[in-house]
Amino acid sequence: MQITVNGENNEVKEIEVNLSKLLELRKVESPEMVAVQLNGEFIEMNNYSSTYLKSGDDIEFLFFMGGGSK
Amino acid sequence: MNGFATKSIHGGQLKADVHGSLRMPVYDTVSFEFESAKDINQAFAGRKPAHTYSRITNPTVEDFEQRIRLISGGSAVIAVSSGMAAISNVILALAGAGTNIVTSKHLFGNTLSLFERTLKPWGLEVRYVDMSNPAEVRRAIDENTRAVFLESITNPQLEVADFKAIAEVSSGASVPLIVDGTVTTPYLFRSKEFGANIEVLSSTKYISGGATSIGGVIIDNGNFDWRTSPRLKDWAKKMGPLALLGALRREVFRNVGSCLAPHHAYLHSLGLETMSLRIDKSCSNGLDLAKFLQQHEKIASVNYPGLPDSKFHKIASAQFGKRYGGILTFDLESREACFKLIDNLHLIKRATNVNDNKTLILHPASTIFCEYPDEVLSDIGVRQTMIRLSVGIEDFNDLRNDLARGLALL
Repeated sequence: MQITVNGENNEVKEIEVNLSKLLELRKVESPEMVAVQLNGEFIEMNNYSSTYLKSGDDIEFLFFMGGGSK
Repeated sequence: MNGFATKSIHGGQLKADVHGSLRMPVYDTVSFEFESAKDINQAFAGRKPAHTYSRITNPTVEDFEQRIRLISGGSAVIAVSSGMAAISNVILALAGAGTNIVTSKHLFGNTLSLFERTLKPWGLEVRYVDMSNPAEVRRAIDENTRAVFLESITNPQLEVADFKAIAEVSSGASVPLIVDGTVTTPYLFRSKEFGANIEVLSSTKYISGGATSIGGVIIDNGNFDWRTSPRLKDWAKKMGPLALLGALRREVFRNVGSCLAPHHAYLHSLGLETMSLRIDKSCSNGLDLAKFLQQHEKIASVNYPGLPDSKFHKIASAQFGKRYGGILTFDLESREACFKLIDNLHLIKRATNVNDNKTLILHPASTIFCEYPDEVLSDIGVRQTMIRLSVGIEDFNDLRNDLARGLALL
């Protein structure tokens, strides 16, 4: 499926991908220091594994440098 | 890794150093290079984890912030240039003209000055209450209240509020509770467990290793719903629980320019490694000196939460694990006697600061509070007969002997 991640089009080959898996695929080293928005809506960290993506979704990862964590 | 000291020593470093340095090096640099225009654009937009400019983030400062996060149990930390910068950044992030904060009558002198003389002219109302009376706090809060602010142990009155009771009032009104935990640090006081939402500290004191350098810390304990904060609700829509961190890092802290110097962050990280040992010694010296002074014929009274006859002894014991910090005050018969004792000392230093490794003595009314008239001093519990002792980590006998000699000459 085609999704947009941080403004760029991405082809995801996996059939079922949730936000946890997407963070893993994108090799995000410290997921606790990233705010995730799906189609403009902030997603709570404890909902990552239950939030499945569909074609056309727009995902933003907002990274926090420094002492941040959720 | 569960113990406080272990976390203080081994926590922090997010990435292995390229040379395997056991200590995070001092990144004394302003800016960071990128491979492409796109990379630097992504970093500025927050879409790529990278340091861009040391006024905003820096690897050595980040290492210190991560250590503080680990030892405090907070969810987000920003290190700043001083304890006063920590307080001002947080108030600027939460409040504004036409709003109010509720705070104690008993505050550090410069905090009082910040509220009264710096922020009031910008339209912030400051409501002073008795923090030992939660009902008074409740009455002072209204729909325009943006924060309740108090110190874990007030300086120099050494008053200790019942934090769970105050937190119950503030959380009931959806108002964040800010605690200045400078003199307790997360080693003595677990502010999150007592319901505080934000902790600010002057890391200049215990944390820096005993007054090596100036710095401050803001800790978001991660237990406040920022969607209910009028100033932060838009940030909360974008960043959820990271809203305060976002508002500070990407607006207030960045724009005000109150960054901690990397060299200071290095010293503060170094200080953290021995902090628990130093606090233990400072607290035991404080208690022993308070007992000694209490027995002395020339001392009118001694104020220290560790003394059983202190009206705050019970609540301090419950909140600080039976360690009561390194500050005590005592009263002599007159201001002149105070000046004479201060001048009589050889070992104890005449200096302003608290929680240095060295024991320091000060007459608060004529120094920190010298800009206030007597009627204000009376209202805030600062007497002309009061001396403040910040107890260091020297050998107790040497401290006792210095005070005994000085008192004998009165």
